[in-house]
Amino acid sequence: MEGETEGGWGGGAESVLNLVPGSSVPIRYHSLFGAHDDFLLLEADEALLPDILHSRVTIRGQTDEEAVLCTPSATYAMKFVGTSNSVFLIPPGEPIPPCMKDTCNDSKSNTSAVHEVVPSVIKVASGNMELVLVAPRLDKLKFLLNERPYKLDEDVETDFQHNRSLYRWQDLLEQIQASEQELRDGLKALSAAEIDGFWRIIDEKTMDEILNMVLNNSILHGWRLNALKEDEVVSILEADGYPRNITLHCLATFGNMVGSSGCSLWSLDEKKVCLHFALQALGGGKMKLEIFLQKWRHRVPSGMHADLKMLEGEVLYEKLGFETWIRAFRVSALPSTPAERFAALFRERPRWNWKDLEPYIRDLHVPGLSSEGLLIKYTRRSQPRADVEPIFSAR
Amino acid sequence: MQIRVKCNCGEKCPEWAIVELQGVVESQLATSDQINGLEIGHLCCPSLSSSSSQPSYTFTVGYHELSGTKVQLKKPLLVLKKKAAVDAAGTEFSSSSAVELEVIGIIRQKILFKTRPKALISRKNISSIKILRFLEV
Repeated sequence: MEGETEGGWGGGAESVLNLVPGSSVPIRYHSLFGAHDDFLLLEADEALLPDILHSRVTIRGQTDEEAVLCTPSATYAMKFVGTSNSVFLIPPGEPIPPCMKDTCNDSKSNTSAVHEVVPSVIKVASGNMELVLVAPRLDKLKFLLNERPYKLDEDVETDFQHNRSLYRWQDLLEQIQASEQELRDGLKALSAAEIDGFWRIIDEKTMDEILNMVLNNSILHGWRLNALKEDEVVSILEADGYPRNITLHCLATFGNMVGSSGCSLWSLDEKKVCLHFALQALGGGKMKLEIFLQKWRHRVPSGMHADLKMLEGEVLYEKLGFETWIRAFRVSALPSTPAERFAALFRERPRWNWKDLEPYIRDLHVPGLSSEGLLIKYTRRSQPRADVEPIFSAR
Repeated sequence: MQIRVKCNCGEKCPEWAIVELQGVVESQLATSDQINGLEIGHLCCPSLSSSSSQPSYTFTVGYHELSGTKVQLKKPLLVLKKKAAVDAAGTEFSSSSAVELEVIGIIRQKILFKTRPKALISRKNISSIKILRFLEV
C-alpha cells in the first residue's frame, strides 16, 4: 500500500495522543506528506461502527446520483462538509523492521519496541463526509421492473439472448440506492416475483386471469376461499397451462398462508381481492358512484363484501352537480419521495382536506420527520374560521 | 455501481490523531524546496491546571503560540483509503472504475486550537528557521 512501510506509517500518532503533562513533542510534515486525494474522513455514529468495521457496508449510486452508504438494513446520504480550519492528520505507528513470519502476528510485540517517533502530518484534511439517515430510493425499482412486466405468453427462451430490461438481484443492488433489507421490502411491496433468477412484476392482465381461474375453479370444485389447498389449486391450474410458481405468486399476492405446518392452506384476502375488482371496474375512467357500486358488487366473489373503506388511498371522489363521481387514483402510482409526492398531489387537486389527504401521505417515511412535520414542510394550511375544517394547499 | 467498504482491522482499528488549528500554517520556503520532513512546530502539554481536569496544550509554530485542549469527538471519524478493487483471487480489476474503500484508521480524539495565537518575541524564537527565512526575504 502506497505510503506504508511493512510495519506502519511511521506517523507517531501515539506520541500526540499519549502526551503527558510536562512533556512536549515536535510535529513535522511526514516524508510522504501530500494531497493524498485517495484519503477520506468519514464521520460515523458509534452505532454504525460494528457494521463498518465488519465490512458489512457498501456505497451505492450511479455517477449522476448522490452517493449513499448502505448497511444491511439502512440507507444514509453522504454529504461532504468542508472546514476552513487546518486539520492535520497524523497516522499511527512507528516503522518496525521487516519481521519474520512467526514474530509478526502478535501486535503486542510492537509496543515493546517503541522508540519515540516524531509525529508526522501526512495530509491536511479539507473536511469530512457526514452521514444522514434517509429513506431508501425505491422509485427507480418500480421504473426498472415495469420496463418488462412478466406476461403469461412471453417466451423467455427466445428472448434469453436479449436480457435487456431483465434484472437479477445483483443487478438491482447495482442500480438501486437502498440497503438489502429495504430492497427486499421494496420488492415485496411491489408484489414482485423472482422468476428464473430475474425479479419481475407480473402484468395486470396475467394476475387477473389467474385470480379468476382460482375463483372459477373454487365454484367448480367447491373450494373454500379461506382454506384453499395449495397443492390442489396449483395442480389444477398447471393442467390448464399456468406455471406453478406464477399461481403460487398469485396466491401470495391476493391471500395469506394459514393453517399449521405440513398443510399449505391459503386464505384469500377480502380487501385485496375486492380492491382488484374495483380497479378493474374503474379501468375505463371516472364513473358515477352508484353505477360503480353496482358494477363492483356484481364482480366480487360471493361471500366477499365490497366496502368503500377498502378503497382509501386508491380512489378520489368529486361532486359534479348533485352527483358524486369516482375515479382511480392510486397512492402506489405516486412518487415515494415527499417533495415529489406533494407536488403530484397538488397537481391532481390544488386543495385537500385532511380526511382525503391522509391516505395519500400515510406511507411517507422521512427519518426524523413526523407526519405533522411533513405537513408543515410541504403544505400551506389554511383555516378561515375555527368551525370550518382546515385546507391544505401547496407552499 | 457499488463500492465495497472493507475493513481488515477487526474490532481494533489503528488510532490516528488530529491536530486542528483555526487558520493556515505557512512555510517560508523557496519554491524548489519541499516541505516534506520540515518541522511545523512543538506540541506541549503543560502541567494539569487545577481549575479543570482537562489537560491543556500549547502548539508553538514559529513565533506564535496557540492554546488548546484535547477534544473527544462526538462521533468518531474513520480514515478511509480509496483503492482499486480486487476480485476473489486477489488480482486487481483492470477497469479503472472498479474501486474499493478500505478503513485504515479511526480518530476518536483531536487536539483543537481555537484561540488567537499569542506572539512570542524573544531571543529564543528569533533563531527559529521560519523567522530567519522571513528576515532574509
